Amino acid sequence: MTADQHECTAAVLEETPDAAVVANLGVASYVLADVEDRPRNFYQWGSMGVTTPVGLGMALATDDPVTVLDGDGSMLMSLGALSTVKGVDPENLAIVVFDNGVYETTGGQQTHAATTDFAAAARACGLEAETVDTTADFEAAYRDAVAHDGAALVACEVEPVEPDTRPPFDYAHIKRRVRDSLTGDEA
Amino acid sequence: MSEDTWATETVDALSRAGVDLAVHLPDSSIDPLTDAFEAHDDVESVLVSREEEAVGVLSGAWVGGRRGALVCQSSGLANTFNALGSLSLPARIPFIGLVSRRGDLGEFNLAQVPMGYNLPEVLDDIGLRNHVVEDRDEVAERTHMAALSAFSTETPYVVMLDTTVIGYKSEADE
Repeated sequence: MTADQHECTAAVLEETPDAAVVANLGVASYVLADVEDRPRNFYQWGSMGVTTPVGLGMALATDDPVTVLDGDGSMLMSLGALSTVKGVDPENLAIVVFDNGVYETTGGQQTHAATTDFAAAARACGLEAETVDTTADFEAAYRDAVAHDGAALVACEVEPVEPDTRPPFDYAHIKRRVRDSLTGDEA
Repeated sequence: MSEDTWATETVDALSRAGVDLAVHLPDSSIDPLTDAFEAHDDVESVLVSREEEAVGVLSGAWVGGRRGALVCQSSGLANTFNALGSLSLPARIPFIGLVSRRGDLGEFNLAQVPMGYNLPEVLDDIGLRNHVVEDRDEVAERTHMAALSAFSTETPYVVMLDTTVIGYKSEADE
C-alpha cells in the first residue's frame, strides 16, 4: 500500500495554508507546483541533500510553519542533517520525506530506501517521527507533526510519479517571492 | 593586537552589518571566532554536521529575513560546492563566509593542500567572490566590508583567513 504524493501535498497546503514549503528538486517540486504555485513555495532547482537544512534555516527566521518536502534520495545524501535539526529543534518545522524508492528525476534508478527506515533514523537522532503508507494516515501524521512541540518527521511511502508541471525556472524570482512573503515586503 | 581581540572585533563588525546567525563546524584555528559568536548576545550559533548543510541553513534563514555567517575550515568549504553552485549562486542568496585557509604557510598535512592552497582560484572559477586576509589587524574591517557587499548585492562572499592570522599546527616544526 502507498500514499498518493499529489493528495498528500494537497493535504499539507490544506492543513498549513500559511506554511513556507521547501520542496526538494525534481518530483517534490513538480507536484507542489501542480497542486498550487504559491508565493511561499521555495522550489529547489539544485542542491540535492540540502533541502531539509534550507527548511531548518527558514524555521529559524519565521514564526510561521515551515514544511520540508524532501525525497528519499536527497535525505539519504544528508542523514546527518537530522542530527543538526534536533540540535536546534524548532517547533515550527515539519519534515516530510516522500519515499518513492527511486531517483525519479534522473531516470528512476533505485535508491537504498528499501533497506532504510527513515522514521527510525530520525528517532535515533532524537526527532519525533512516523512512517505512513496511506493518504489518510499521512494527513493524521502530518497534523501530529505540525502540532508537535519540536521538529518532527513523517516518512511517506509513495509510488513514483512523473508530473508535467514545472515551477518557475527563474531561481532568483522564486527566492524573492518567498522572502517578500515571509518578511512582509510584498508589493 | 591580543590573541583573540581580532575575533571579537570581527564578530562585532558582522553584528553591525546585521549578521545575527552563525552556522559553523569547529576547527581549532577558528575557535576564537566561534567562541566570539557564541558569546555575542545578538548572534545565534548553530552547529551543523556537514558544512554543505550550513549553506542550506543560511539560505533558508536569509529567505526568511535574517543575515548569517558560515564559519568553517577550507576543507569544510570544499564540502559545500554543490550547494554554492546550485543554490547560493543561481538563486543569488547571500551569506558571509569566514574560512580558515589551510594548505599554505606552515602547513604540515598534505591532505590539506589541494583544496586549501587552491581555494581562492576554485572559488573564482565558480564566480564566488572571495578575499584572503593575512594580517590580524585587517580581519574585522575587511570582513565587515565583505559582508556589506554580500548582503547588498545578494551574493555570497567568502573571506579566508591565512595562517598568519589564525596560526598553524606545530607538527611542521617537529
